[in-house]
Amino acid sequence: MTAEIESPVIQVTGLTKTYGSVRALDGLDLSIPRGGVYGVLGPNGAGKSTLFRILLGLIRPTAGTATIMNGPVGDIAPMRLTGSMIETPRYPPFMTARQVLSWLALEHGIAGTADIPYWLERVGLSEAADRKVRGFSVGMMQRLGVAAALISKPELIILDEPTSGMDPPGIQEMRALIRSLAHDDGLTVVLASHQLLEVQRVCDRVAILNKGKLVREGAVSELTAVGERLRLSVSPVDQVLAALGTKGVRDGDAVLADIPRTEGPALIRALAEAGVDIHEARWVGTDLEAIFFTETGAVQAPETIHAG
Amino acid sequence: MLVDAIRAEGFRLTKNRTALFWSLVFVPIIAIVIGGLTNFVLKGSETKLLGDTKMPPEMREALLNRGTLDMGGALVEAAASLANPLVLLFVLIGAATVYAGDYRWETWRLISARNSRINLLLAKLAVVAGLALAAMGFMLVADVIENLIKAAVFERTLTFTLTGEGAAHFIGYFALSLLRIVQFTMMGMLAAVMTRSLLAALFVPLVFGVAQFFTTNPLMQMGVMPDAWLAILVNPGSATDAIQAAIGGGERAAGLPDGILLKAWFSVALWTLAPLAGALAWFRRQDLSKE
Repeated sequence: MTAEIESPVIQVTGLTKTYGSVRALDGLDLSIPRGGVYGVLGPNGAGKSTLFRILLGLIRPTAGTATIMNGPVGDIAPMRLTGSMIETPRYPPFMTARQVLSWLALEHGIAGTADIPYWLERVGLSEAADRKVRGFSVGMMQRLGVAAALISKPELIILDEPTSGMDPPGIQEMRALIRSLAHDDGLTVVLASHQLLEVQRVCDRVAILNKGKLVREGAVSELTAVGERLRLSVSPVDQVLAALGTKGVRDGDAVLADIPRTEGPALIRALAEAGVDIHEARWVGTDLEAIFFTETGAVQAPETIHAG
Repeated sequence: MLVDAIRAEGFRLTKNRTALFWSLVFVPIIAIVIGGLTNFVLKGSETKLLGDTKMPPEMREALLNRGTLDMGGALVEAAASLANPLVLLFVLIGAATVYAGDYRWETWRLISARNSRINLLLAKLAVVAGLALAAMGFMLVADVIENLIKAAVFERTLTFTLTGEGAAHFIGYFALSLLRIVQFTMMGMLAAVMTRSLLAALFVPLVFGVAQFFTTNPLMQMGVMPDAWLAILVNPGSATDAIQAAIGGGERAAGLPDGILLKAWFSVALWTLAPLAGALAWFRRQDLSKE
């Protein structure tokens, strides 16, 4: 791999943005690697949108530095490698979806409009291509926003709440599209979302922001593996709890065993030999939602353990 | 790139049929309709007068002496009045749409990251100048049609005479009218950028346009004569009138006070470039995340 390929697509150092007395970003340090889908999480006011707006040159940081596609934010050259959709996109209402993409292609200096039907089809808007956008639903606006972000064939695409306002089938299609863009088209996708389960399903890595600072960062698989436990549906439960001692807790009709994966097979063998009926045994991890609530200090929902 | 931004802005404007209708087509249609109707009304009055047997023969002869209608001269005259309030008002509607559209439709975030802000604003200016040019062209076409109607109604012979001097006058008047319209739209640009409002982009230049005509009397009461620097600077309309008189030559040009042209050009340049510079400076640092 060359140095360029290995270099992060986004590098943020000590990034601070204040609005009066409010610190939207507070010395944020973040490095987003090339490739895959990267999620930026955080409660309202965590600084996600401010970060995206700075990266896209819409606003200026109060302090700190940020680079995008190896260039300083605000420069045109790196932005020509970047597509974006910030919040629910809006368009001139008198234009059709096809005209919107043609207009943006001209804005971006792209010769020809041959790719427009392809991207309209890719986001599921072929049939609405020649309808005026004033009649579009929020979900259709989002789809057109993604097509608009892709029309310039970027290497990096930044999506702010890409599934906002979409119905469940639309969310599923968007999720598939995002993963396909990253894994089939080789784009780096950076997205922000409030839907944590959504992020867990679609993202390879995540960063959790709180009060303008980075509080957790890593691969989703690594983050959710921490706190992993073996869930045993057994009878009698009390016998297993007694055998596990402090490593076991009751979870309804089952037992959660806090042991390393390597000790799992031996435990199951030992329980079977001791005459315990084992109906089901599976590893469960902590999901992003639990991590999110822990890291941001928000009030946690009662049920935080889900199947991994 | 500036060229990309101009092409995109132009493309978007061509899809905005409402703005194009009001900016380009409405006033010429009104001009043709009103001009045509006026000719028919005048013709009716003339017919009535000619039917009066008591009319003196000299007057009858004067009325029946149709003469010719010189389209070349009519075009030169029309070029001198292209920046009239009606054309100005309706071009400003289109200009306000161009300047404030991205705030209104919340579309700055779609385009501002990939081009320099100066290019984006200059592209709007170029497109508005093109719009003004087209509106002036349509007005000239309307003037030709109106004169054709006049010639038909009054049975006048059409001629077309345009000498070198006449052509120079036409070009000078046309360019000055264009500059005057663009000057007003510059104020619209500044208002749009500062307020993010389409209505402000439309009404601020109109208010300035009206207000400047009321500056002469108060200034004279303060002892400032109409040809003084201050009077010319606060009233670019009078500056344009002076330049137009100079272009036309003849008695009007000869009657211009000494040194007024320098003041006039300075005033026109100031009112054209200052709003542009202000808009560019403001826009460069503007938070575009919330249109």
